[in-house]
Amino acid sequence: MNGTPHVLNRILVGILGLLMMASGTLFVLLAGVPAVAQWWRNWSSDAYEHAVYLAEQTRIPGRQESWLWVAAAAIMVILIVLMVAWLAQQGKGRANLIVADYEDETTPGEVQIGGAVAEQALKAALAGRPDLAAVTVVTYEVQGRPGLRVRVHPRQGVSPQLLAAEVSGLVEALDTVVGRRTPVLLHIAGGARARFSKAERVR
Amino acid sequence: MSNGTSTGTPGQETQPLAESSAPGAPTDPGIRTILRRETRSSRALAAGAAAVLVIAVCVYGLLESALRAIGQQPWLIDPQTAAERLVKLPEGISPLLLGATGAVLAMFGLVFLLNAVLPGRRARHLLEDPRVAVVVDDEVIAAALARSARAAANVTQEQVMVVVSQRLVVVNVRPTSGVPVHEQRVQSAVEDELRAMSPSPMPAIRVNIAVSGVIGA
Repeated sequence: MNGTPHVLNRILVGILGLLMMASGTLFVLLAGVPAVAQWWRNWSSDAYEHAVYLAEQTRIPGRQESWLWVAAAAIMVILIVLMVAWLAQQGKGRANLIVADYEDETTPGEVQIGGAVAEQALKAALAGRPDLAAVTVVTYEVQGRPGLRVRVHPRQGVSPQLLAAEVSGLVEALDTVVGRRTPVLLHIAGGARARFSKAERVR
Repeated sequence: MSNGTSTGTPGQETQPLAESSAPGAPTDPGIRTILRRETRSSRALAAGAAAVLVIAVCVYGLLESALRAIGQQPWLIDPQTAAERLVKLPEGISPLLLGATGAVLAMFGLVFLLNAVLPGRRARHLLEDPRVAVVVDDEVIAAALARSARAAANVTQEQVMVVVSQRLVVVNVRPTSGVPVHEQRVQSAVEDELRAMSPSPMPAIRVNIAVSGVIGA
């Protein structure tokens, strides 16, 4: 439900994986197959000579070094910045407002309703239930609209459909309070918190 | 792919959920996108590892080229020497070390590649609801089915094991020694619970009653 870029992640991780696999395979072949070693020596010495030639051509006037080094350093800096930007995309998308522009004839100006209203209301409504081990409610921005993610950790053996129906009722009540239907994702989660809590005995 | 284990409360069960899919939220394209995303892995972990790896390599490269630019001693290896050694590679390093390095590199590459290419489906099912979009971990479904199976078979919590995967639910029951378990009854109890739940995709049910029983349960 958050803004993690799924497709971008797949593409970039795939590219890195391909590069790593290709170089790893090349190393293994170099170590194991003499024919490949022969080919590599021819190819790479050609490439190296070409690089040296290029470096000669691109020398900074009045200095020994080629500006290719500067270019390489700049590319690496850009790469680092891009990678940090990519990291920052993971799991983003938290929002503060559940309703941003409320059109209401009786109210002059604009009404904003914070996400904490919905979060606190749902949490309070679900608190103290014996069949739930934990509840988290978070506001996210989904495709430009605010949405709620409700994650409940039921105890072992709770029927998810009953839980979903009850939470659905609560959300409908919240709709009438807020006056706006926000998209809601209910995640009924398992995991350690549910597994190590004791099973619900009486219902 | 997830497995839930047995659990149980004997007792009442399941009024079926209203199956009317009211026009509204679940058919909302935004909600559908959310649900599709929620049932797939985001690869945030692999992405983070990849980014950190690339950053580390770049920082090291920058350090070495900076050391070279200001005419200092290299820290580990000078970029030019590195390039020269790379060019005449099979020489200057033991083939065993080179092969092992390559194998490790290729293995991590394969892990990344598979991470990117495989569908990465999470062990989750969707539930129908008129208002909210509902995803359920398979573990929760397994626990609920285990409870109804346990009630139908009249055994303890430890004697029932339910494994839920995308298209199949396997219910394993070990009866108490000397007390027969009616497979049909377990099957119909689990079926009723699953029908009331109506997860999508709807899995098939297979019930296995163990041949040997448990003593003293």
